[in-house]
Formats: sequence, C-alpha cells, structure tokens
Amino acid sequence: MNLMILKRFKNELIVFIASIFVIYAIFYKSSADSFVKNKKTDIESSISEISRVVELKKVWKSKSILKKINLFKTIVSKNKLESFKKRGQKVIVKYKGLNIKELNSVIKHIMNNPFQIVKLKIDKQGKEKYRVELICKW
Amino acid sequence: MGKSNKRLLVHKDMPNITTNENIDIILTPQFYTFLKEELGVKFAYQAKQIAPSLFDDYLDKSKEYQFFVYKCEEYWCFFAYDIDEMSLFLESRGLKKYQIGKIFFAQELSDKLDNAINLGEKTALKTIDNIVALVPKRLMGSKYIYKDLDLKDLSLNHGISIGSSFGSLIPLKQTVAITILLTILSTIFILEGNRVKSSIADSEEKEELLISKNSKLSSSRIRKSILAQYEPIDKIERLKRDTIEDISKLLSSNSHLKELTVDEKKVSAVIEANKATINQIISNATKKNLTAKKEGSVVRVERVL
Repeated sequence: MNLMILKRFKNELIVFIASIFVIYAIFYKSSADSFVKNKKTDIESSISEISRVVELKKVWKSKSILKKINLFKTIVSKNKLESFKKRGQKVIVKYKGLNIKELNSVIKHIMNNPFQIVKLKIDKQGKEKYRVELICKW
Repeated sequence: MGKSNKRLLVHKDMPNITTNENIDIILTPQFYTFLKEELGVKFAYQAKQIAPSLFDDYLDKSKEYQFFVYKCEEYWCFFAYDIDEMSLFLESRGLKKYQIGKIFFAQELSDKLDNAINLGEKTALKTIDNIVALVPKRLMGSKYIYKDLDLKDLSLNHGISIGSSFGSLIPLKQTVAITILLTILSTIFILEGNRVKSSIADSEEKEELLISKNSKLSSSRIRKSILAQYEPIDKIERLKRDTIEDISKLLSSNSHLKELTVDEKKVSAVIEANKATINQIISNATKKNLTAKKEGSVVRVERVL
C-alpha cells in the first residue's frame, strides 16, 4: 500500500526531492558565503597582525640599536660630552655647552632612531649654549 | 511502468479487477471515436491541431474530449476519447486512476483481429475494412470460434503516457519542468558556492607565505602579546617626537628655546620671545593642540602624553 501511495504521488515526490535539493543548494551557497566572509576577515586580520608585528619589531627591536646608542659618544666633540653611562638596555648621556648646530644634531639623532625617551632635558645656559640630559632605553 | 505493466482490454462488459499493480489499458471502440484521414500535414502536432474540427460532427458537445493522432501508413489515425468517462468506468471496475499506466487503442490490433475476440455475452471485437469495431455476437453465429488474444505479447507502439498524472496534484509535464528548473537552480547555487569558497585561495596563500617567513608568529596569541608590548611604545614615542617637531615649528628668528623637557608623562618647552611673537606662538600652538601659557616674557608650551 505504501508503494502504491508513492507511485500515486510520484510527481509530488519528485518535486519535493528537487525542492529539498534546491534548499540544500541554497543553504550550501549561504554557508559558503558566510564561511568565506569569516575566513576572509580572519585571514585579513592575521595578515595585518603579522605585518604590524614585523614592522614594530623591525623598528623597536632594531639589531643596530647599540651602534646607534654608541654614536651619542661621538656625535659632538669629546669635551662637550659630560657623561655617557650605559647600563643594560638603558643609557644616560649628558652634554654641556652645545651650540645650536650640535644641539640639532643630537635632537635629530634622537628623533630618527628608535630610542624610548625616558627623559630629555634641554636647558639654555648662556647665549646659544645648551645643556642636554638624556635617559633612554631600547 | 511501460512494457513491464500488465495489459487490460477495456470494454463495458469487462469483469471487476482486483489489483494493486499499474495496468496499461487498451481501449475498445466503446471508449473512443476513430477517424482515418489522408491529410497534407507532415507532423503529428499539426495533425493534432486540426483534430477537433475533424470530429466536429461526430462527438457529443456536452463532453470534453482529448485527441490522439499517429501516422498509420499514408493516413493519419485520429482518436477522440473522454478521459473522465473512461476513468470513471475503470474506477467502477476497481482500477484506480493512478494505477493506469499507458493508454492504447484497440485500432492498433487491426491486423490481429481478422478473427473476432469475445468481449462478453453480447459483443465481439473484430477488424472490418481495416477498422477495429464492436460486432454483436448474434451476427457471428453460434458456432463461431473466437480467437484467444494474448495481450502480453502484442507489439503496441502508440500509447499515451498520462496515467501517472491521474492521481497527482501536479501533472507530469509540470513535474518535469519544475524538476528541471529546480535542478538547474540547485546546480547554479552549488557551483556558485564552490566558486565563492575557492575565491579565498589567494588570501590563504598570502597568509601561509607570511607565516612561513615568520614561523614564530603563527600563533595569534603570540602576535597579540607582541603587539600589546610594542604598540603602546610605538604610540607614545611617536607622540613624543611629533610634539618635539611641533614645538620646533613654533620657533623663529624672533624666538628661541629656553628649556625643553620630555618625560614619560608630558613634553614641555619654554620659549623666549618678544611680546608680539609670544601671541603668535600661543596662537600657532593652540592650532597644533598644544597647551600654551604666557609666563612674563616667555611662553610655556606643553602636551600631556
């Protein structure tokens, strides 16, 4: 009897199966869209994170930082270097009697290199003479 | 359905049937009107178009007829039948509409019915002048030997496949059309889904390449930890440098830096200048979002980090 019912409603059954197939296909397409959307967001976020980490490490963990730190000793003449103390990853540099040109060289060196400025103090001591105290780490 | 179905000769004296199987039926002339015409048409659909007009004078106008045409030698064989009458009769004999497979016409048996076959108490079926007709048995004589016709082995080529549509809510043609449409739609959706899925292959490749170059950064946790360490440093150090640059732009030939202090919390500068220049410095500093305050003959400029 069940077989007879199936035979009787064969057309409806075929249309029903085709409808189920199309519903499955719509669901498949929709889940593919949502999968791709999420995956794309994840990938873009990963790529952006990796690129940012690489960029930050390149800047703030530069391998040539020590060379650049040591340049504080020679950037102005020796007699103007009051003190240079390097402890671990920290340096304390003091200059005295710097003229504008020398002051600009020191500031430019600080500005263009990835030192973390803990303290920078510039005081005018007389006409066009400056005292600089710098503490920085890396 | 088709060849595997049992066959049944349908006539008004037929006995009741008890079966659950599908049956192909052969209608006797009691259920159809037959015309044989020689027409100048080439295709069956053309012949079918003119069929209603051919039967104009032969059919009961109160009934609704279906027409069937096929080519028989140089003629066209036309059949008009009332499907409701036929199906009601079959139901009265125990055969449900949906059990009807193909419908054939007894005219196809014309070459097999030179000798009549017995259709019950009163009628016989016989070919007369190439047309299958019902003949009263009294005309055949009491000693006439009726032929036994085995329907199973007969070759019948002109059947109508409408049986499957009888019990259905959706007719066969619409079923086929809907199914084809839905299948095409499904295929499009699945292909589109696959295309969408493969569209991120490039991004995945780029990510894999980056990770292979920086294998230590494959974990999102490690990346986030590094970012948490370096991003605040990057932000604050850039701000310190930008502020020093902004302060340096406030200086001119009429002003000079007296003091500059940078620490973890703020950048502060004291600039010496004449009265007119001080106002200019304050105005420019405000534009750069720096806090500027006049203190006697100097101006203090600062930005909190």
